[in-house]
Amino acid sequence: MSKKREVIASGNDLAAMAAVDAGCMFFGGYPITPSSEVMHTISDLLPKVGGVAIQMEDEIGGVAAAIGASMSGVRSLTATSGPGISLKAENLGLAQMAEVPLVVVNVMRGGPSTGLPTRVSQGDVAQAKNPSHGDYKSITLCAGNLAECYTETVRAFNLADRFMQPVFVLLDETIGHMHAKAELPTVEEVKASIKPRRKFEGDPKDYHPYEVPQDEPAILNPMFQGYRYHFTGLHHDRDGFPTEEKETCRKLIDRLFRKVDEHRDEIELNEEYLLDDADILLIGYGSASLAIREAIDRLREQGIKAGMFRPITLWPSPEERLFELGQKFDKVLSIELNQGQYLEEIQRAMGRKDIQKLTKTNGRPFSPQDIIDKVKEVF
Amino acid sequence: MSRIVMRFTGVGGQGVLLAGEIFAAAKIKMGGYGVKTATYTSQVRGGPTVVDIQLDDKEIYYPYAIDGQIDFMLSVADKSYQLFKDGVAEGGTIVIDPNLVYPSEEDKKKYKIYEIPIITIAKEEVGNVITQSVVALAIANTMTKALPDDVLIETMLSKVPKKVHEANLKAYELGKKYALEALEKGPAK
Repeated sequence: MSKKREVIASGNDLAAMAAVDAGCMFFGGYPITPSSEVMHTISDLLPKVGGVAIQMEDEIGGVAAAIGASMSGVRSLTATSGPGISLKAENLGLAQMAEVPLVVVNVMRGGPSTGLPTRVSQGDVAQAKNPSHGDYKSITLCAGNLAECYTETVRAFNLADRFMQPVFVLLDETIGHMHAKAELPTVEEVKASIKPRRKFEGDPKDYHPYEVPQDEPAILNPMFQGYRYHFTGLHHDRDGFPTEEKETCRKLIDRLFRKVDEHRDEIELNEEYLLDDADILLIGYGSASLAIREAIDRLREQGIKAGMFRPITLWPSPEERLFELGQKFDKVLSIELNQGQYLEEIQRAMGRKDIQKLTKTNGRPFSPQDIIDKVKEVF
Repeated sequence: MSRIVMRFTGVGGQGVLLAGEIFAAAKIKMGGYGVKTATYTSQVRGGPTVVDIQLDDKEIYYPYAIDGQIDFMLSVADKSYQLFKDGVAEGGTIVIDPNLVYPSEEDKKKYKIYEIPIITIAKEEVGNVITQSVVALAIANTMTKALPDDVLIETMLSKVPKKVHEANLKAYELGKKYALEALEKGPAK
């Protein structure tokens, strides 16, 4: 069994620590509640390991700087909340199109617009799937406890480098700010898990970064190291130069989907809690799952057998497992701190419309009693 | 130990957050579980702030105190007191600064309310208003008997700068003294 260490911290602090332990050397961002502590903590940690943290002039500058740093070959992070993602959206689309790896921590708060800055929400789940215009496949992870603020940030860096695209880590105000003990893998274990992005080692004249198999990401060598290519948000050819050639354009977008879709097994991660003997399936993620877990324990004390399915990777969704669970369980309740953004995906994956829902959008967390009452009301 | 649930309320900027972190860290140091959550408003200073602390020997999943199950609340601002008092269990203990919080006669029947001038103690007897969170920490621990004083003091000292160690030790001693006196005198009638 792998060794663990105990750390007492908040979720935001753990995300920052994870980034540094995972080899992140650059942070570009702009402070915003409830994510600011990610920036505070990493601004303290990065200079100690020779890295750089910059507060830019705004959210757009923050993500642009982080993308630039990543193009030079280093692991790079930005952190924000929903309103910040809205501002960063254009550049996130650029990173999808040009295939620049990046980790984006979004500590969700109430929206839309400036919403409820200091209060909890899971309102950015749909946004994380498609923050900018255009067709691409999001990778979005969602921490459901303090330890996962750390482990999912580490995983995000490895996935970003593997698939050469931005990877979202969704926290929310509850998880980001709660302060308690987390059991974490050792730094040595984290360092050993790092898989650096692929690099072309051959003759520079044979280098065509976007000429890769249809289910694989581009191989972008760090800039300024003798391997020349062009970088653009336009549709581009094998060397990155703009093109409108129809087959090249078709293949590019097809590949942005297939590089993710055909490697779901490398991305998907779920937790199942007491599902084996359950009659009622509760589905939730992020901080809502803390209330769900407590509700399940209390329902079982009353003889009601409920269990939980918790996606940790939200996008791409665990559609096959959801389909299986939809076949197995009659009684399904989806629980989320929005009006049902993930419910639509559950309905699609299960091929069912009769999923019950419990939602909340007033900036307050679910209590276990909210869930117990809903279960008793609908089943 | 069964679960101890505490709530500290004040207004933004008073430093009630730190007391919660110290409690959680001290309990964890002893091999148990401690969770602190804070809820505050988007006002930088002056908005109502509430800190929930749960301590248990068993793992705690849901991080917030559940209304109606709070054993102990401490309040140093009336608007926070009025907003959050309903979370306290009937017969539960509430410590207020009588210069800043004004409980109704009805409240005094429903809860055990002790009056301790926390801010005045910090300002005039310790000589540093910032130490009010440590005065509050000592009062809360004396009233709930949650943790051994030495573990809590050691954790507290590890979280404050060395140059204010002496002032904070004094704040802790005074908080404990006033709490014992209040307990002897009994709740406000």
